[in-house]
Amino acid sequence: MTAAFIPPVTAIQPPALEAVLPAGVAALGGTAPVSFGNLVSNGLQQVSAQLNVTQADLQSLATGNVENLHQVMLRMEESRMSFQLMLQVRNRLLESYQEIMRMQV
Amino acid sequence: MNYSQSFAISATGMDVERLRVEVAALNIANANTVLSADGKGFQPLRVVARSVLSAQAMDEGGFASLVGQGLAGPTSMVEPSGKAVRAVLDPGHPQADARGYVTYPGVDPATEMMTMLGASRAYEANVVAMNTARAMAIKALEIGGAS
Repeated sequence: MTAAFIPPVTAIQPPALEAVLPAGVAALGGTAPVSFGNLVSNGLQQVSAQLNVTQADLQSLATGNVENLHQVMLRMEESRMSFQLMLQVRNRLLESYQEIMRMQV
Repeated sequence: MNYSQSFAISATGMDVERLRVEVAALNIANANTVLSADGKGFQPLRVVARSVLSAQAMDEGGFASLVGQGLAGPTSMVEPSGKAVRAVLDPGHPQADARGYVTYPGVDPATEMMTMLGASRAYEANVVAMNTARAMAIKALEIGGAS
């Protein structure tokens, strides 16, 4: 018995999302299929960009060179609301995932 | 997103009211500066806000496109108010004219206080309008949530 009989263990490759989805999730009003993962990551990037803008605003506020206060507050509110929207989307996704995992097979 | 447009509208209103307060503060700060004998010096200023929105009712799409271009809010200009100068008899003053009068800008402190009060209230109204839009958006995020 040598080690040559043991087949090498290969890592399990996750199936590509495009292969799982039969036709692809079409974008809203568009013709090109956009995968759901792309949608989620785009949304996350937008939220992250808004949070970065808020951080820059807060830095300029702390250093004292802010042009007007209400613009800073409005942008903070905007980023807070996009974060809330992201959170709600995540809650819905997690809920449906847990429902599926509870399904009897 | 859509609620950022109502934020932007409220922000233009806040800009105008803040400008009003700044101009009133400038008028008050310069109320006791002396004009030279030929009338050169500080002129009292006032803010004139205009809106490009015309009076006739526009359809839904026209309003939305104006809001999208950032044109729905007011635009403001600062222009001299043209008030008459205030002459004070002070013969010993170095800037006094031949009759012994010193001229000051025609700033009325009571008017400036009223301007600031009105601008402050209008600013509050803009904040309330923005908060209402924000509360509606936050409420919309609660749709279907676990209560």
